[in-house]
Amino acid sequence: MIQFEGVSKTYQSGKQEIHALNGIDLTVETGEIYGVIGFSGAGKSSLIRTVNLLERPSAGRVLIQGKDISTLSSKEIRTIRKDIGMIFQHFNLLSSKTVYHNVAMPLLLAKTPKNEIDEQVKQLLDFVGLADQAQKYPDQLSGGQKQRIGIARALATNPSVLLCDEATSALDPQTTKSILDLLRKINKEYNITILLITHEMGVIREICDKVAVLEAGKVIEQGSVFDIFSNPQQPTTQRFVRSVMNDELPETLLAQIRNAQSDNAIYRLQFTGNSVGQPFMSRVSREFKVDLNVLFGNITELQGVPYGNLIVEFAGEPSEIQLALSSIRKSNIDIEEVNDYVR
Amino acid sequence: MSVNYDQILEALWETIYMTGAAFGFSLLIGFPLGILLVVTRKGHLLENEPVSKVLNIVINIFRSVPFIILMVAIIPLTRLIVGTSIGTAAAIVPLVFYAGPYIARLIENSLLEVDKGVIEAAQAMGATPMQIIFRFLIPEALSSLVLALTIAIVGLIGASAMAGAIGGGGLGDLAITYGYQRFDTLVMFITVAILVVLVQGVQSLGNVLSRTVRRN
Repeated sequence: MIQFEGVSKTYQSGKQEIHALNGIDLTVETGEIYGVIGFSGAGKSSLIRTVNLLERPSAGRVLIQGKDISTLSSKEIRTIRKDIGMIFQHFNLLSSKTVYHNVAMPLLLAKTPKNEIDEQVKQLLDFVGLADQAQKYPDQLSGGQKQRIGIARALATNPSVLLCDEATSALDPQTTKSILDLLRKINKEYNITILLITHEMGVIREICDKVAVLEAGKVIEQGSVFDIFSNPQQPTTQRFVRSVMNDELPETLLAQIRNAQSDNAIYRLQFTGNSVGQPFMSRVSREFKVDLNVLFGNITELQGVPYGNLIVEFAGEPSEIQLALSSIRKSNIDIEEVNDYVR
Repeated sequence: MSVNYDQILEALWETIYMTGAAFGFSLLIGFPLGILLVVTRKGHLLENEPVSKVLNIVINIFRSVPFIILMVAIIPLTRLIVGTSIGTAAAIVPLVFYAGPYIARLIENSLLEVDKGVIEAAQAMGATPMQIIFRFLIPEALSSLVLALTIAIVGLIGASAMAGAIGGGGLGDLAITYGYQRFDTLVMFITVAILVVLVQGVQSLGNVLSRTVRRN
């Protein structure tokens, strides 16, 4: 478990003080995949670096398994760092050493016997699917392969926590997916707690259990990925959610609706879990005197639960529409009027 | 020609000897200083402002004195170390004072080229400062270090030619005394040609070595 308690970080830049972190409170439970998202400059890198003390908080405490790490001696810090693996956006491999040597490095530092190193490196390379690349050098590998080496290296000391610093930000979407799959596998098979920072909401949706949104050094919103995606409160969060769950109506359609000048009501309907499968539209238009026109829709999966989003135009007598809406509400579908959004 | 081939060979040997010995000692001094210059910098492994400041000032002082003046200025010290202030061995002392600080700067430069991310990864692995220096910084910079040291050797060959001024011998001495002062153009030409070949050879060797240690 990693706990941030009022963690702040202030840099001195000339005469100016820059508050990179501003009283962060977060708890990452053991075995969780926790994502921190924010635009660049929000303080993500500083935050993740306070966990292994690459950055020292100016105020507040970081606790790992309940232990305040800011009080540790440099020797104790080095010991605890061996229990915290880290991977980086730009991989940070040694370009002068082979893949084998790169993965072996943490073991060499710990003065592990050679035959043990041999065995472990083989296992690690096997695990990340690069057993046949051991004698190559990093510059002979693709970005995805380099990140796999980075992951193998981070796992060499058998850590209980893995920090991912924008680990997929330099990769193409295909490769990103394969790296995220690997991270999920690490989390499941070894029960390693993963704390990742990213600016890609797709990464959060893909593998995280929980998410915190960081802005100007503060956590502005946090919760389960499902809650944040289905009901984002803060404007920044909404922007992030919209970046992967596009529910903007196409401009031409908007113009069409505006020109029609009808006073038909437009609603956003949100379905989760088993309400997704219901044929509610045909039922409602049969039972009430309303016509339904789907303007936009999508369906996705969040943490293994289906989640759908429809923007529907209701045409008919206002009283009939109200009846239809309350009937829809009964089947666990969230309704929100979005007239303003169109007009 | 006013000199014979034996004299030329002897001068060549003196140049090689002066350069080699001076390079060895300069490296012994310059290498640790170069590493210190890097790691005591602000935000680096062993940040230490006083050490960094003093080191920089001292190195800059030595670097700003022209070699010909340095040579004369430290004569008492030379006499203390080698017992005499003239001859090839005596020339080595000022050469070391000249090249040591120079090598420190060159090494500082090479080590600074190492990606900060690699150092960060090393720290995240729990490496000690010593481990970071010897297992990360130096191996990653090795190729560039070899090139930098090649520059130092070429610089030393040039400086050793001036050592003739204190009777240091070597090719430079030969060129001045016979080529210039006795107007023997051929001697001048031959010595310069040998120096050119020497420098070309050292540089080529440095290039090849640098390429082979890129992956170490």
